[in-house]
Amino acid sequence: MKLLVIEDEPSLLQSIMEYFIQIDFLCEGVTTYSNAIQKIDDYTYDCIILDINLPDGSGFELLKYLREYKKDEGVVIISARNSLDDKITGLNFGADDYVTKPFHLSELNARIKALIRRKYAHGSNILEAGNLQMDLAARTVTCENQILALTKNEFNLLLFLVNNKNRVVSKQAIAEHIYGDETDNMPSFDFVYSHIKNLKRKLKEKGCEDIVQTVYGLGYKLAI
Amino acid sequence: MSKPLLQRNTRYLLLWLPVVLLGCTLLFFFLMRMQAHHMQQEQLFLKQENIWNAFKSKSGNIDNHISGEYDIIQSANNGSIEFNEPRDTVIYYPDKQKSLPFKILTSELHWNNKTYQVTTYVSSTEIKHLIIKVFLGEALLFVLLLVAIVILNRRSSRLLWKPFFSTMKKVNEYDITRTQSLTLQSKTGTTEFDELNTVITNLINKVKAAYFNQKQFVENASHEIQTPLSIIRSKLELLINQPHLTEKNASLLGDITDATNRLSQMNKTLLLLSKIENNQFPETEAVNISKMVERILNNLTIYYDNFPQVESEIQENLILNANHSLAEILISNIIKNAIEHNQSNGKIIIHLSPSHLLIKNTGPSLQTNAELLFERFRKDSHQTKTTGLGLALVKQICTLYNYLVTYKYHDGWHQIEIVFQQQTA
Repeated sequence: MKLLVIEDEPSLLQSIMEYFIQIDFLCEGVTTYSNAIQKIDDYTYDCIILDINLPDGSGFELLKYLREYKKDEGVVIISARNSLDDKITGLNFGADDYVTKPFHLSELNARIKALIRRKYAHGSNILEAGNLQMDLAARTVTCENQILALTKNEFNLLLFLVNNKNRVVSKQAIAEHIYGDETDNMPSFDFVYSHIKNLKRKLKEKGCEDIVQTVYGLGYKLAI
Repeated sequence: MSKPLLQRNTRYLLLWLPVVLLGCTLLFFFLMRMQAHHMQQEQLFLKQENIWNAFKSKSGNIDNHISGEYDIIQSANNGSIEFNEPRDTVIYYPDKQKSLPFKILTSELHWNNKTYQVTTYVSSTEIKHLIIKVFLGEALLFVLLLVAIVILNRRSSRLLWKPFFSTMKKVNEYDITRTQSLTLQSKTGTTEFDELNTVITNLINKVKAAYFNQKQFVENASHEIQTPLSIIRSKLELLINQPHLTEKNASLLGDITDATNRLSQMNKTLLLLSKIENNQFPETEAVNISKMVERILNNLTIYYDNFPQVESEIQENLILNANHSLAEILISNIIKNAIEHNQSNGKIIIHLSPSHLLIKNTGPSLQTNAELLFERFRKDSHQTKTTGLGLALVKQICTLYNYLVTYKYHDGWHQIEIVFQQQTA
């Protein structure tokens, strides 16, 4: 998968690229509007991560340019502006998704994976990870051909872990991914622990033991 | 004790104007009496001259005595009378059976080597009556004048102070948190009020600029903090994915992640606060608040292992007209607050009626001043993990929708009440 990251902050750009290179994406990064236009003209990407505030132009302009030239790369906007207007403008200009800074890389990854699946999977809604099979349309999970009875939140949690397989995902990222704004002003994320505990128990019952690992007090990892 | 200017002005006038008018009246009275005396004296001399001329021309063959008119007596000065000075006397009128007052004047005159004492009479009654009548008339005029001055003064004051009161009303109604502008009359017709309006306008403009700058600062700061926060977060995520992570390092990373998360929360909340201040949530809809309270309560039970015992009395299908996300933030924040600041095996009581939402929870009393509870970054000393912005957010949303929010602590119960004012459908 080829990914173009357009972000004016070099340090953040480097983090994003490093993260996606680690999970086997082909990554290219630019920090300016003009460089981005050049890249878009010369190459084709599967997905573009786009920052709205660029030193020499607006991300919205870039989106317009992309859509005018009938390029149908998936675009995920990352922006410091957490306003509904920007979100709507972005989506109207043809962006596929929108993430607000400061985001978790695991969250960005989950969004990109979902976007790529929507765009390129062509009807296949089955996600496989080890001996786990997730049917995204029917929202069912099978482990060694046995169906797991998961709640909506547990399903989302497992999907998030599968999307970030073999990566450590922090408690905070999980909490925000599953509960969104409801976790605002919450002093602790202990509830993530009980969710994980339940998920682990259910996986163990069906023979998928130890695939969800706890990484000290930091977070969790789905090890395949 | 301060009183209205109009009242004070009237009071002052009523206190001093009568004194001045009384003084004037007395002065007028004395002046008039002096004038009257002078006039009588002139009359007496004139009469004397006429009589003496008549006496001389008739060679003394006129009546020497006419009561109330004159006396001519041939005699030498016996020294008992002061000449050429008017004196008072009374003459008894038998037919009227009373004595009437007269002014008399005696002069010593010489004719044919004889000395005569000529005394002329002028009645004092008429002049006395005149003085009294004029004096009374004048007193009446002064009273009328007093009333007229007071009334005119009140009228004109009311008229003159009109621009002042209009300015005051406008300034009083001005709310800097709502981004309206204040327009004061620039031409009131009174220099002082024109100046006052100019000064107030300038002051308000300066305050507005300062307020705007401050708001802008919070908003800009929050925006700018987002990028470094993103960098920290992303680096932390890369770090926790490093191979050979030791437990010691993991614990350090955990603490940094927690702190970053809190910073991010604070930042998000501050941004939200300034957005509400800037009226960036204009869209409102009918929100079923009853369902919202129940849903939030249900969702929150997942987050806490020792969820307090809940006793709720929620009237069904109550509709509030508000922004959906703000209503959600408002309710979830007070409920979260009631859970966070509870004691172990505590309780929460929720009452929802068309007029108000009441949330009570058990818990230790506050260490800080309850009045400051709704201010930013105010929190009870033992709470270190919260941002201290939850209730500030509640307050801000309540202010936006004109809800009244109050806090009370009574008998081990914290109580937060929100009164929806005429907002319930």
